[in-house]
Amino acid sequence: MSTNLDIKVKHLTRVEGHGNIVVNMKDGVLEKAQLDIVEAPRYFEAMLKGRSFHEAAIITSRICGICSLGHQLTSLKATEQALGLEVSEQTVLLRKLLVHGATLQSNVLHAYFLAAPDLLGVGSVFPLVGTHPEVVLRALRMKRLANDIGDVVSGRAVHPITPVPGGFTHIPSEKELLEIKRRLVEEMVPDYLATVETLKALAGAIPAFERDTEYISLRSDGDYALYDGDICSTDTGRIADGEYRKMTNEFIVPHSTSKHCKVSRSSYMVGALARWNNNHDRLCDVSMDAAEQLGLKPGCTNPYMNTIAQVVEAGHCALDSVAIIDQLLDNGLKDEQPNQEPTKFGTGIGATEVPRGILYHEYAYDRQGRITKANCIIPTGQNLANIDDDMKKLVPEIVDKTKEEITLHLEMLVRAYDPCISCSVHMLDVDFIE
Amino acid sequence: MRIFAVGNSFYGDDGVGVAVLDRIREDNTFPGTELIDVQTDALALLDHLAPGELNVVVDAAKMGLEPGAVAGFRPDEVKLKIQSDHLSMHGFGLAETFAMAQQLDRMPERMLIVGIEPERIEINQGLSDVVAAAVPRVISIIKAEVQPDD
Repeated sequence: MSTNLDIKVKHLTRVEGHGNIVVNMKDGVLEKAQLDIVEAPRYFEAMLKGRSFHEAAIITSRICGICSLGHQLTSLKATEQALGLEVSEQTVLLRKLLVHGATLQSNVLHAYFLAAPDLLGVGSVFPLVGTHPEVVLRALRMKRLANDIGDVVSGRAVHPITPVPGGFTHIPSEKELLEIKRRLVEEMVPDYLATVETLKALAGAIPAFERDTEYISLRSDGDYALYDGDICSTDTGRIADGEYRKMTNEFIVPHSTSKHCKVSRSSYMVGALARWNNNHDRLCDVSMDAAEQLGLKPGCTNPYMNTIAQVVEAGHCALDSVAIIDQLLDNGLKDEQPNQEPTKFGTGIGATEVPRGILYHEYAYDRQGRITKANCIIPTGQNLANIDDDMKKLVPEIVDKTKEEITLHLEMLVRAYDPCISCSVHMLDVDFIE
Repeated sequence: MRIFAVGNSFYGDDGVGVAVLDRIREDNTFPGTELIDVQTDALALLDHLAPGELNVVVDAAKMGLEPGAVAGFRPDEVKLKIQSDHLSMHGFGLAETFAMAQQLDRMPERMLIVGIEPERIEINQGLSDVVAAAVPRVISIIKAEVQPDD
């Protein structure tokens, strides 16, 4: 048995942003097991100060390339609450459709491009293009349809962004929604079922590791809570989203430029596994069947299963999108104008389940409709203490493995959380061929 | 013809692609051309690349040139550094996207990349003066590539 261990993974791959895994064991005693976050802090809050209520969501949607929709909707909800802007049922349904598209896209990509290479023992998705082209094409097809939901509803890629405080500046047509529905039924559902089959073949490679923690997600009375709901903890039950500070308690640690959070214990987990543990009773049959096939059970305490929970809920996102489109069309699409007449200027809180967990935005507005104070708490920050606690339990359990195997287990653990450490900046690095 | 912008306009010069699209839209430089801002989702290019058309991608690029320098090149003229080790999807980068397009046989024949050497990539900053001044040169390079039936 190895009693001395020194692992440093600098700039962990296949996660968003820069984080280092640092593990140190001396004479059988674990001295350190943690994820160092070295990314420069982002100061969302400073960026928002003084901005008008029309700008807040536009700015926050661009803060992070991969979580843009989540920031946008959470921001709109916070602004609407602060300014007393009521939104229509149609607006809520369209936003729920957007959340489904974004969750579907993010979860599918994480499973296929980030997690699957680990389960197959290859370093990246590129070897899979050669060996399993049909699987990669399926992933891209699913991503495209999920993206297209976003494009049709929010006009992201080719038009100005349409979700604004109080509603939408443009409503998709019946024809566009019917086409999305057709593709969901004819393309997404078979692709989803094939995804479950593919993952079933790989699920045996998911490490067996258990650590009970506090799981926190939104929960609503009606549906599988993504767009809104109360905050729900497996330890303490439900509480209104207005109490979010009690359910986060940010604090500073020396090894991370991102704050950590805790509630009832030293750490808690947010994200798909937390949603599964709190809300599996709200999932559709297709997702429940996928969970059974993939070995995901209620009360799951294996953080590596977060990837499986993402895949399970993706099925619900696809099928509930069909139900939402049906409801929108049954109600009849109305060419509504967004409600942008503030009835007050105060403080508002938005809480939304984004792919990585609960995202909170809180703004205070002055009488000119400008932000005087902002607070944003992102899911990855909430998970950091939990990742550290996982590592501290995991390392002694796998200390008999080789250093390479231990390192891989730790990397896979962090990747299972699908962390978004930074906003992505796309720099193209070019060498000219002489 | 399709023109794509890749990048995040809240990260200083990383937003140059979007600035170029905005200028083209304002001046109606290329009527009828699809202008597509994929933001930071370079992989979304795979969904929009048009095989029979001219495809132009505008992005901030570290080329080892002076800040503000502009260069147009074809994918086979350069070695885009694949950073599979940094595959930070969902921020899949442009180099990775092109590699995948090639592997999947989806790379259009007519493909122009216009790179702009950035001065600063920092959150909450607009374009630097030298990069803002480069926007017309980007458009000139695209113009030179366009054929009458594009």
